[in-house]
Formats: sequence, structure tokens, C-alpha cells
Amino acid sequence: MKRNYYLLKNSRIRRKDNTICLEYENGEKKNLPIEDVEAFYLFGEMDLNTKLLNFLSQEKIPLHVFNYYGYYSGSYYPREYLNSGFVLVNQVEAYKNPEKRLEIARELITGASHNILCNLKYYQNRRAGLEGHIEEIEKYKNKLPEVSCIMELMAWEGHIRDRYYESFNDFLDLPEPYKKRVKRPPDNMLNALISFGNSLMYATVLGEIYHTQLNPTISYLHEPGNRRFSLSLDISEVFKPLIVDHVIFKLINTRMLSEKDFDQDANCCYLSENGRKIFIREYDERLSTTIKHRHLKRNVSYRRLIRMECYKIEKTIVGDAEYKAFQAWW
Amino acid sequence: MHVILFYDVEVERVQKIHKLMKRYLTWVQNSVFEGEMTEGKMEEMKSELRKKMNPGLDSVIIYKLGDLRYTEREIVGVEKNTTDNLL
Repeated sequence: MKRNYYLLKNSRIRRKDNTICLEYENGEKKNLPIEDVEAFYLFGEMDLNTKLLNFLSQEKIPLHVFNYYGYYSGSYYPREYLNSGFVLVNQVEAYKNPEKRLEIARELITGASHNILCNLKYYQNRRAGLEGHIEEIEKYKNKLPEVSCIMELMAWEGHIRDRYYESFNDFLDLPEPYKKRVKRPPDNMLNALISFGNSLMYATVLGEIYHTQLNPTISYLHEPGNRRFSLSLDISEVFKPLIVDHVIFKLINTRMLSEKDFDQDANCCYLSENGRKIFIREYDERLSTTIKHRHLKRNVSYRRLIRMECYKIEKTIVGDAEYKAFQAWW
Repeated sequence: MHVILFYDVEVERVQKIHKLMKRYLTWVQNSVFEGEMTEGKMEEMKSELRKKMNPGLDSVIIYKLGDLRYTEREIVGVEKNTTDNLL
């Protein structure tokens, strides 16, 4: 399977001999095999030109850009190649139909909260004091089938997340207790990790949507706004606990990251360059980790699961099958 | 599937083969490439390779390694290039 390439060092990236050539500031060069590239994630200060963008379009490779702080700033989304008017019309119609929309949105949250509980139950055997959180989240989750509008759904989701983040104090070895989720800018280590991880997740999901017929701007849980690919936000909801949170727990509890891997300012906190490197390596490994899929009866990577989620949504909106969000069964 | 590829071709075609190969695999040493590819990509690469080489004179050897779990890779001396995807 093709791989994601994460470029952290400042360099010039260009097309050469029908493949990709990286030229570092010190004059060193490195060729990347184009046939092995799934997507580019640019973190460093990069130079590039339209020749490269044309080439990436031709090879159907998206390019995601992150700013100085590691915050997602945008994607080069190559020309759509799986155009389908049929799917688009159905996608819009499913959004316009309040029942259908609620059905999909509810399933997304149900899947997400199931996966959250799955994480907590794993730690329940190791650390005491999680029962309360689990009970509470389960109570919230049981309310989901009864909700009648998206707003209500979002409210329960908020409660679940609050409680979930609160429980981190009980099973992570944190240098300072976690108080609440703060974004833009994140204020402490854990918030910085969550923000960075979610940025990556968002780009990864977008990359998978690109290879389906879905339109990434029409979403169900989040309101489809302007200037963002909100379907990507919807789908990443289901996978954040399985991929991002898992990486965070591992990095903190095995002490792979410590305070020196963060750049701390008066009221903001970001991963340092080295910290980012450690995070990305774990994240990429997690994406390519395979599990034996129950129905397919073969090994499937987490990245593939995201793609399958897109296919499931596509089937739902064209009316082929009912949507069942991915729920971890281990 | 993981692949190691060696080539030994007449001087005038070395550049040609090298340029073709670097689209599919990562260069690790002179006339040695390495990387991950699917069966389909492998066939595509071989057919392009046949077009560029002279089958009477040139030789390309491809090792296909299935699961890397039982494989070890050791470098003695300098590592000329990494196959890492974090750069």
C-alpha cells in the first residue's frame, strides 16, 4: 500500500524525471518514488511551483499544508477524478431530509462514543477510578436514540467529550492535571497533542474521501459551512478515539514525550519539532496497523477502515444500505 | 510486498533504467533499489522495464519479500539513503 510522506525539514520540492525530488537547504537531494506516495504532509517551509502541482494532479496525490505551529492550514485537493452527479444529488438530498440527516449524524456519534468507551474500558482493568466516567458516558450514550434534532445530538456529544477528557486525569501520567479543552491556541501539553492529532486526522480523512465519489463539503453532523471540508470532520469523529487518542495515551504513558518536547509560551503550548516527529511516527504507524476484519475475514489497516467508512456513507445516501458506524469490537 | 531490485545494464542504459526505477522504488545504493509495492505495480514496472532494457544484454534481479517480520536489515558502513517516509 502507498504511504504518506511527512516533510518536516525546509526544502524545495519539485518534479524531476517524472518523480519527486527534494532539495534541502544544504544542497542535499533526495528522490521519492512517486508510485509509493499516497499524500504529502508539509510541515516545513517548502518551495514549490505549479509544475509540481500539475504533476500531483496527474498522479492524484493530495498535498496537505500545516503552518508553523502544526495547525492544519489547507490542502491542495487535485482535480476530482471520481465525479458522480448521481452521488452528489443523493448526498445533498440526504442532507436536506431531516430524518435521514439525523440518522447518519446519530450513527456517527454512536460510533464515536462506543469507541471512546472502548478506550476507557481498556484502562479500567489497569487503573482504578474509571467506573464513574464510564457509567456517566454510557448514560449519555443511551440518550442518543431519543434525540430529535442535530442541536440536541451535538449537546450530548459535548457532554460525552467533556467527561471523556476529564477522565484522562485518572489514567494518564500527566505532569499537570487536565482542566478543560482549550483550542486556538492550546494551553497545555495534552491540549496541544489533541489539537495536533486532530489536525492530522482531518487531513487523512480528507485524503480518503478524495478517493471516493463523495463530495467533502456536504456533511451531516457538522453544519456544512464555507471554506472547509466538513464531511471530513464528520468521519474523523468516529476514528479520533481509535487513532489519535490511542497515540496520545501511548506517547504519554510510555514517556516517549516529555515537557522538553513542547514549546511553551505565556498562554500557548505547541509541540516542538522533535516532539512533532515522535508524534507523526507513532501516528503513521497506527494508521498502517492492521486488524483482522470480522466481516471481510482479512487484515485491514486503520487507514483502510476510514476508506470503508466513506463507502458505507455513500451506500447510505444512495439508499443501498443502512449506515452502521465503525465500532471497535475488542 | 517488500521488494529489493538490482540491475546490471550496459553503460548507455544505466541512466535510463535508473530514472525509471526511481519512480517506483527508493534508491539505496548504486544499482540497488528497495521499497514497498503491490503485485499490480510490480507488473506495470516490469513491462516498462522491458521496454527500456535490452533483454539480450541487460539483467535485472528482483527479490520479493513477503512479510518482513522474519527479515532483518543491517547496514555495515555508511547508510547512503533512507527509505523513511518522515523527512
